[in-house]
Amino acid sequence: MAVPLNGQWQCQCPPHKRCCKIQPSMLACDLADLASEAKSVLAAGADELHLDVMDGHFVPNMSFAHPVVASLRKHVPDAYLDCHMMVSRPSQWVEAVAGSTKGAGARYTFHLEAVEEDELDVAGVVKLIRDHGMQVGVAIKPGTAVEALSAVVALVDMVLVMTVEPGFGGQKFMPNCMPKVLALRSEHPDLDIQVDGGLGPSTIDAAAAAGANLIVAGST
Amino acid sequence: MLSTLAFSSGFSVSRSPVSQGRAGAPAMLYGEPRPVQIIPSVLPADWANMGAECKRLEDAGVDRIQFDVMDGNFVPNLTFGPELIAACKKYTTVKFETQLMVSQYNCETMLDEYTAATNQPGKPGVVIAHVEGNTHLHRTLTKIREGGGSPSVALNPHTPAEMIENVLDLCDHVLVMTVNPGFGGQAYIPTMVDKIKKIRGWIVDRGLDIDIEVDGGVKADWTIAACADAGANCFIAGSGMFAYENLADGCSELRTIAEAAQKGKARRGGGEGRGGGGGGGSPRRSVRRCSRPRRTRAGSRRSGSCVPRRGSSAGATSRSSSGSRRDSRRA
Repeated sequence: MAVPLNGQWQCQCPPHKRCCKIQPSMLACDLADLASEAKSVLAAGADELHLDVMDGHFVPNMSFAHPVVASLRKHVPDAYLDCHMMVSRPSQWVEAVAGSTKGAGARYTFHLEAVEEDELDVAGVVKLIRDHGMQVGVAIKPGTAVEALSAVVALVDMVLVMTVEPGFGGQKFMPNCMPKVLALRSEHPDLDIQVDGGLGPSTIDAAAAAGANLIVAGST
Repeated sequence: MLSTLAFSSGFSVSRSPVSQGRAGAPAMLYGEPRPVQIIPSVLPADWANMGAECKRLEDAGVDRIQFDVMDGNFVPNLTFGPELIAACKKYTTVKFETQLMVSQYNCETMLDEYTAATNQPGKPGVVIAHVEGNTHLHRTLTKIREGGGSPSVALNPHTPAEMIENVLDLCDHVLVMTVNPGFGGQAYIPTMVDKIKKIRGWIVDRGLDIDIEVDGGVKADWTIAACADAGANCFIAGSGMFAYENLADGCSELRTIAEAAQKGKARRGGGEGRGGGGGGGSPRRSVRRCSRPRRTRAGSRRSGSCVPRRGSSAGATSRSSSGSRRDSRRA
């Protein structure tokens, strides 16, 4: 567990060699000027673009979806597009997102909680994503125990531990989600672990100390 | 002045000519024509530059800009939500219109956000709720009005006009879908004209202040003419507008044909019966094939040229003589 010492977070997680990346969330940008905003953050050194797709059902908000991503791709043809799919029945949009992101790398991150109503099981969703040429991420909400991922982690490339309730930007970071990150890192030193929600200068240290290596930065 | 009419079986409205188009040619439009409004959908636009695209449309002279919200449940496509719509307000002052092709759950949980996003300062936004997606449509339309919006109700092609008969008093607009929403490549459904005529009849006979909108496969050809002739005065055109190199030309062409049709100079379906006076001179065409990938939406992709032969100058007005653009409706 990461603990504060003299005002600094001390890393307690096992050492890992996963590359640390900052992923700006496009949800915090001017949504009417996505092309320019994307180019700006990439020019500023961002490694990947984090795209929050919401369908108004899995979460009580709608942001933008694969047609927007397709338009954006034309303007940033080489960028890695990290698609966080906060949607119900996640298998239904795999083909569309693959088509929208083609040309460069992309990740399709689905929520574990959303698979229950899907016609495919987790393994089926994972296979579908891989068959369409994308990397696979699985996300859990704050209320989902990390144990729920035990049978899933080996199948995916990345796990996203939400540090806010998904659906809206500008929420406050939930430090009680860090034990989940630490548990994952302790058991899977080679896993990409992403955190999303309220990450900023005052909270990023806690996330990194727990073992997260992919940091989504939005409104902060 | 309207003639006194008698209803027939209730499934059609008897009409008598109330205005003459060309000499001896009776107009089909029932009641006095309402101002034509050209309302492009943003779906064919560059969504990574949505603000700039809205500004282009404003400069082209459109009356409203329509945002198609699809939630993947009411229709099998997913587009965008209120935040993206609201973000466009920085780029244009044109009135907005949002068509909610969303489930009842989504409509109920996010209606206030949709309405707020669609309202421009001083201009109530048109918020379109689908009759099929709202069990409590009366409440939904009332809520739109209470949120400062301008309520509109939409009907899918299979939905009979009678489904909205009891809420007309709550609406500023009725949208008759002329394709099945959510899919691209759908052909304009010509039988929707009968539904337009029926609703138009109710509006005129009850003295209601309601526009009829049409959406789906509407282009600057016989499709817009047929709808205008039947009583629609608001025309949502996606590819029908963006097919033009110069959007202003597209807006003008659509408006010209619609206004001509209102005056009885309609171009009848499938190329039959050319209305419009004259036709002298070669048409100036600025149509290009839309090169960007088509998105699935509530619109058709009719093949072939969509630019009509230019009519006489008498009909080629770019603005309705009955007034300027519609401004805010009663709120």
